[in-house]
Amino acid sequence: MSKKKTKVKLELTRRDFLVVAAAAAGSVVAAEALTTGPLSPFANLKQGQLEGAVEAAQRAEGVGYRWGMVINLDKCIGCGYCQRACSATNDVAPDMAWNIVVEERGSSGNPFFFSRPCLHCEHAPCVEVCPVQATYHRSDGLVVMDYDRCIGCRYCEVACPYDARKFNWEKRTDVNEFIPTWGIAEVERRPRGVVEKCTFCIHRIDAGLERGLMPGEAYEATPACVNVCPVGARVFGDLNDPGSKISQELEGNASFRLREDLGTNPNVYYIPPKEGL
Amino acid sequence: MAASTQVRKSPALTPGLLAWLALLGLLLAIGVVSAIPVFTRGLVLTNMNDVVPWGLWITIDLSSIALGAGAFTLSAVVYLFGLKRYRSIVRLAVFVGFIGYTSALLTLIIDIGRPDRFWHPWVFWNVHSVLWEITWCITIYLAIMVLEFLPVITETKFFDRWPWMRRAAQILHKAAPVLALLGVLVSLLHQSSLGATYGIVKSRPIWFKPSMPIMFILSAVAVGPALTMAVAYVLEWITGKRRIDHTILRTIARFSGFGLMVYAYIKFWDLAAVTYYGRTPAVSEGLHLLNQQTPYNFGFWFGEVIIGIVIPIIFFLLPRFNRRPFYLVLGAFLAVLGVIFNRWNITVTGLYVPLSYSPGTLYHLPPGVYSPALVEWGVAVGILGYALVMLTLGTRYLPLFGNQEHS
Repeated sequence: MSKKKTKVKLELTRRDFLVVAAAAAGSVVAAEALTTGPLSPFANLKQGQLEGAVEAAQRAEGVGYRWGMVINLDKCIGCGYCQRACSATNDVAPDMAWNIVVEERGSSGNPFFFSRPCLHCEHAPCVEVCPVQATYHRSDGLVVMDYDRCIGCRYCEVACPYDARKFNWEKRTDVNEFIPTWGIAEVERRPRGVVEKCTFCIHRIDAGLERGLMPGEAYEATPACVNVCPVGARVFGDLNDPGSKISQELEGNASFRLREDLGTNPNVYYIPPKEGL
Repeated sequence: MAASTQVRKSPALTPGLLAWLALLGLLLAIGVVSAIPVFTRGLVLTNMNDVVPWGLWITIDLSSIALGAGAFTLSAVVYLFGLKRYRSIVRLAVFVGFIGYTSALLTLIIDIGRPDRFWHPWVFWNVHSVLWEITWCITIYLAIMVLEFLPVITETKFFDRWPWMRRAAQILHKAAPVLALLGVLVSLLHQSSLGATYGIVKSRPIWFKPSMPIMFILSAVAVGPALTMAVAYVLEWITGKRRIDHTILRTIARFSGFGLMVYAYIKFWDLAAVTYYGRTPAVSEGLHLLNQQTPYNFGFWFGEVIIGIVIPIIFFLLPRFNRRPFYLVLGAFLAVLGVIFNRWNITVTGLYVPLSYSPGTLYHLPPGVYSPALVEWGVAVGILGYALVMLTLGTRYLPLFGNQEHS
């Protein structure tokens, strides 16, 4: 029987095929309408969220801002104040620091201190991989987390080249020892099961702009780590404005970014120590 | 459809069956007892951490989806390539595939941090994300498998009461070729995207390579049908009834043998390109670290290559072995083990190698440390229990081998 090649007859009449095809097309349309379209129970939610985000961003930054940070490794003294202020302001758990400060050494053995917030990459791997757009780009260049949308798959954490993301493995009950000495919590603790990271103190930027304050210049509108730095090693501001402090800083100094080979184009620039890297 | 209603006697509770049911109950109980605290207290109970955020459960997801690939492969053989004589195994293949995919979804629900938001990928789309695409493909393919399988379910005695349902299912069955075509497209997509999930992560030197998706789909296409073949043999041994012609099963084994050879070929050139000709400093460093601190080379050569590829190829292709069902089943289980080894190796070794982003020379992130916690093993045991329960119920109550309608 194996010799006899029997052909499968597709037992489909033209009518059947049309019915099936129409049903398939119909269900696609229905699914579209029900999920993202006008019939969706989430339509308002999604639309609202989108509009909210875009509107807030546009209102807040008048379109055209690109927030960035310069970290001067030559000035940094490794006091770790930035890490403490960040932990207090954003109520970050001690083992999930958004902003790290570590001892480093250049290739000629010269010691220096290295610190790292979220780099808010232009081509952020975390944004590309997130299956639900819980992390996304705002038009002002910030990489934002939506804690209400995150499903906790941790792909962004795996994909981030800079170890900037931390997952909430449990419901936090710890007492934040940096409050109130280093600041008070300005944002809520994140719930169990979502990923979090440095926001460039987005709440300060948005609230500040609403009140007509320029982030990077006005204290209330500037990230906590930048304000607290005793030696002015961190400069924050609008990279699109050639007159801003950050642009001036970049103009006058040689700078580099972390792992430029990856093509992520971070918005955080580093000024190397005088003795070299 | 004369054969549709099958009169069944109530099952005789032999000691063997009782023992089997007790074992299944135990496996399920272990799974439930492990899963409940994870839901109530969170993933902190696992040994996953911020350096190794993916572990045993992701390995189970990847493996069970790969092992469910027999469904689309054998459907394609019958409905697209028109090899009608393999029709008798399609039902079993789809059923095994269904078990594999649902096992993966069950594990995934436990693995994500917010199980209550499992539906988010369907509503909030990120079309750039391979993981989003995988979620959609898996959902669609699961729906296709259910549609393909509905006619089989309506053949059970239970549906004697509602003959219209059976008729509706029969009409649906006419669409089987269309469903199979759709299923093949969707499967080709997500089976390879699962590899891309790793292959596109440019900050991880061990993962970042274009061969990842290709190796994933080749291993799935090779091993999935072999698992279906093995299940058919084992069911035959247990029930004592020959349901599927042995020549068909042997042909499937030989197909898997050739599939594994293609997989081995790609794997060889991947190895040559990555570790020999194209070794970049990052890859060299990563492999050095892995070999220094873990039995990486041994795991690769023994677990993936010898157990997972070489021995199954010998058993599947040499006439001396492949005339004896025992060796075919053994070969299939070794190949399955090889796939699981491979998915584990990829997931955990890729995360073991630390990221490197600091501009200096002193600061190095520690290598990831991970071995599954007891609850993780417990859930794994529970998932295995679920798969075996489904298989048992299916064998008992569904006409998995019901004679094919030649309408």
